[in-house]
Amino acid sequence: MAAQSVPVKLENVSKTFRDPKTKAEVHAVQNANFEIQPGELVTLLGPSGCGKTTTLRMIGGFELPTQGKIFIGGNDVTYLPPNGRETATVFQSYGLFPHMSVEENVAYGLKIRKLPKEEIEARVKKTLELVGLLDLAKRSPGRLSGGQQQRVALARSLVVEPQVLLLDEPLSNLDALLREQMRIEIRRIQKSLGITAIYVTHDRIEAMSLSDRVIVMKDGIIRQIGTPNDIYEKPNSVFVAGFVGKVAFFPVSLDAFNPEGSFRCTLAGRRLNAGSKADDIAIGGTAVLMARPESLSLLPPGEGYADGTVSARVYLGSSVEVYVKTQYGEILVQVDDPAGKKIAGEGEAVSIDFDERLVRILPESKEEKQS
Amino acid sequence: MFTKKKIIAFCCACLVFLAVDIWMFSTVKNSFAKTIAGVAVTLAKTIASSAPGADESVPAWLDHLNTAYPGYSFFYCKGLPGEEGFREMGGDSSLAAYWAQHQSDEVFVKGVESASYLEVYTAPETMKIGAITGSLLFVPIPAETQDSAAGFLLMAADSSASRSFFSLVNALAIIAFVLFALAFGIATFSRDPVTGYVVLALFAIMLTFVAYPLFEAVRLTFITNGRFTFDTWKTILGNNQYLLALWGSIKLGLCTATLSTIIGFVFAFAVSRTSMKGKKFISALATMPVISPPFSLTLSIILLFGNNGLITKQILGITKSNIYGLGGLTLVQTVSMFPIAFMTLQGVLEAIDSTLEDASLDLNASRWQTFRSVTLPLALPGVMSAWLLVFTSSLADFANPLLLAGSYRVLSVEAYIEVTGMNRLNNGSALSLLLLVPTLTAFFVQRYLTNKKSYVVVTGKPSMRLSNLASKGMQRFLSVFIGIVIAFIILLYGTIFAGCFVKNWGIDYTFTLANIPEALTRGKDAMLSTLTLAGIATPIAGILAMVAAVLIVRKKFPGKRLLEALIMTPYAIPGTLMGISYILAFNKPPILLVGTGAILVINYVIRELPVGVEGGVAALRQIDPSIEEAAADLGADQPTIFKGIILPLIRPAFISSMSYTFVRSMTAVSAIIFLISARWYHITIQIYNFSENIRFGLASVLSTALIIIVLLVFGLMRLLVRQSEHLEKTVSIR
Repeated sequence: MAAQSVPVKLENVSKTFRDPKTKAEVHAVQNANFEIQPGELVTLLGPSGCGKTTTLRMIGGFELPTQGKIFIGGNDVTYLPPNGRETATVFQSYGLFPHMSVEENVAYGLKIRKLPKEEIEARVKKTLELVGLLDLAKRSPGRLSGGQQQRVALARSLVVEPQVLLLDEPLSNLDALLREQMRIEIRRIQKSLGITAIYVTHDRIEAMSLSDRVIVMKDGIIRQIGTPNDIYEKPNSVFVAGFVGKVAFFPVSLDAFNPEGSFRCTLAGRRLNAGSKADDIAIGGTAVLMARPESLSLLPPGEGYADGTVSARVYLGSSVEVYVKTQYGEILVQVDDPAGKKIAGEGEAVSIDFDERLVRILPESKEEKQS
Repeated sequence: MFTKKKIIAFCCACLVFLAVDIWMFSTVKNSFAKTIAGVAVTLAKTIASSAPGADESVPAWLDHLNTAYPGYSFFYCKGLPGEEGFREMGGDSSLAAYWAQHQSDEVFVKGVESASYLEVYTAPETMKIGAITGSLLFVPIPAETQDSAAGFLLMAADSSASRSFFSLVNALAIIAFVLFALAFGIATFSRDPVTGYVVLALFAIMLTFVAYPLFEAVRLTFITNGRFTFDTWKTILGNNQYLLALWGSIKLGLCTATLSTIIGFVFAFAVSRTSMKGKKFISALATMPVISPPFSLTLSIILLFGNNGLITKQILGITKSNIYGLGGLTLVQTVSMFPIAFMTLQGVLEAIDSTLEDASLDLNASRWQTFRSVTLPLALPGVMSAWLLVFTSSLADFANPLLLAGSYRVLSVEAYIEVTGMNRLNNGSALSLLLLVPTLTAFFVQRYLTNKKSYVVVTGKPSMRLSNLASKGMQRFLSVFIGIVIAFIILLYGTIFAGCFVKNWGIDYTFTLANIPEALTRGKDAMLSTLTLAGIATPIAGILAMVAAVLIVRKKFPGKRLLEALIMTPYAIPGTLMGISYILAFNKPPILLVGTGAILVINYVIRELPVGVEGGVAALRQIDPSIEEAAADLGADQPTIFKGIILPLIRPAFISSMSYTFVRSMTAVSAIIFLISARWYHITIQIYNFSENIRFGLASVLSTALIIIVLLVFGLMRLLVRQSEHLEKTVSIR
């Protein structure tokens, strides 16, 4: 249904607001540079206030960049108003027209384009079928459930066959179960149409499960761009590592480069080899070792790298989460396949061991120290 | 956006336009100057041909010229200078001196020479001769034989009229250029030109019809005979009579505001905190006076309590009653303005969470203690606000004092008398500006209070149920009190209605139907013109208000604050000042509107705009902006979004703004009394005229007719708003 898939490119895009009360300048987005391939679904991920929605709104034409250029399909669209560009946005609050029926909502964009009546009817029908709402066509949106409203919003954006689909936290107003369902639905529709899509969310699971690539943002700055695997397993900063999943950090010094490809470092006087490291750390300096819960395991006291006592144990069925209080803070260890294993209980002394292939060395974070 | 190419294109277009602009306007000026010169030459020839032959009749002729042609001065010479028989016959002394000084100048020699060939010569330069600045003509006086000149006449023609015309043309040229540059700039540089044009248009409207008239009014009070002085203000502030009027206005405001707030509070309390029956009926009747036409309540007060009043004379037998003055004014203003306090306070009390009172009662406080220590303190900012609102209305009130003040002086009426009775426009505008001082003070204090967002609003979810805070005895007392007030209101309206069918109120109470046809025939024209103009103003005001609301809530543009202030200004300005400033500003070019229906329509629109805009703003704030963004995203442009999305969603605000404008225009007095003309009359002024001429029957009929129209409009509005109520529920709010 979608027209030719097109790339989207941002060149040095910045947006500066002026706070109406304090008159201070707020740098909502700073020097954003990225390119999205035709047919790709890219997620902008970050905590609230990180500039991800502002970035999306600049692509949609609702905000004007203070600096930089935006290209859609190779054309500079930076100064075009929303009605002048071939994007379609699904809003967080849906923005359905309350005075029109579902059908009229979906037909709106086509009517604006002055298409012949028969074509409008046919396309509205086809799109409503795609999102599974054909039987509710005559309803008023006020009498639909949240998930149904979400589908109407999606259908309304898709029916005009935009070059780029923009989704601004589209699932945040839905309950957990529905969210999961809609996530799969959105991905299915996007794939089947082959449409370029940009998705904004603060939910890392949503981002990881949906996207071809994820752009992690914080304080208006892009921190990392990569596939979900990349940003989970090979984050480049303490922030990204912490934002995309549960993780523990240990202060280490980076000593040497091992010939087999790993990195030798020292944690509290004990040597270990880390499987990978972020780009910008030099040998011989201090650094941070990151370990995901699944790369940690429990040993009897004294045998691992960090000793501590179990402060809580949470049984999750497929795994058990053990919280261990150590000198590095409370560390989460995930024990898989718990059936039949003996796992240390609350108050027991344990020691933590690393799966050296999975741990990674990151640069020290200035922000983290401050907070 | 600003790119080099666009800036160059813009500058080029501006230069081209400027060239065309200058060329066009200088053509206009030249052709006008030519016409004027032609007229002067024709006039000169006519005058020359009337020159007497005999010397002794020359002085009389010159005298006649001076009186017959003001703005000209003459100097007559017989013969030609340097020739035999040359004599200066006399005329204007400064012209004579000028002649004596300059007669050997080239221009003069040439002028005399032309005259000798019987040709009129106009000096090419403008000259300043005595009090006259203008052109100098050399007019030959033909000899009897008509083949040679017997002498010549120097004629100085004042050109101040054409000079002021030229400055007007220049001003228009500049305005045309500025408008073009702004409009073209918006088209070139803006992403959203339509919004740009609307902002520009709104600015133009507000500057022309709000800022300019007010500026003219202020200017007039500082300018006397073309010079800047404080004379007007010295007269006003040094005159006891005017200061008395100011004090009179304030005193009346204090009385009315205090009484109205008390009564309003009792009503609001009864409706929101007791289990009294007939609340809907009470609310409906208590809001009646707000929408009822001016003069009607005053009229029935006079009918009941006046010198020949039904109650005072017929029932009580008092012959020397005096309802005119502070007492009567307070009474009638309180009846017509306590609904303002009532409606404000009802909103305030209903916003107070009843769980707070329940908590107090639960902690064993008595009802009275609860009221005193919980309800009243929480409502206090609202009470203040209500008081100030009534105070401002009372100060601005014009209609009631006009009929009922008697010898008691208030500023609004004083200003009216100065303007219409004494023709002292400067004093009138100074007085109405003086009225602005207490009004604006009250207005800003009230704004401050409501914007402070007292803690009342943020107490969380207001429970639907409101506690009952009145004991049985209290409730009985409240019922009696409210009953008396309601009965009085009914009595007043009943009196107007009864007045329609009485032959001669106060003297002859015979039943008659004769008033109705007479009033309707004599009031027909006024009624029709009022309906027409209000009908024209209504949709304009409604749409303008909604457009302005969209700009204020949704758009960013430079000067937004200023535009907002300009739109809201008429709300704080007494109608008297508005009317006076309009006659000052629009009684002369470039905008000559006095006497037309347009000035009334504009006045209605501008005056009622603030309320409509406030309603639109409140409605828009309830609507998720992403609804409009979605429409833009789907390809709709601004006008389409406004028509297809915004207007349907804020329909209730749109309808109430329109009906409000209509009703207020139908019942306007204070501003329009200065602006009406024989052709465009107003029904309320007709009512006033009937009452002034003691034709109470006719006034009653027209008042009743007006009340019926107003009620019909409000009924229609309620019906229409109810139809769109379902919208409000479905508009999602984040």
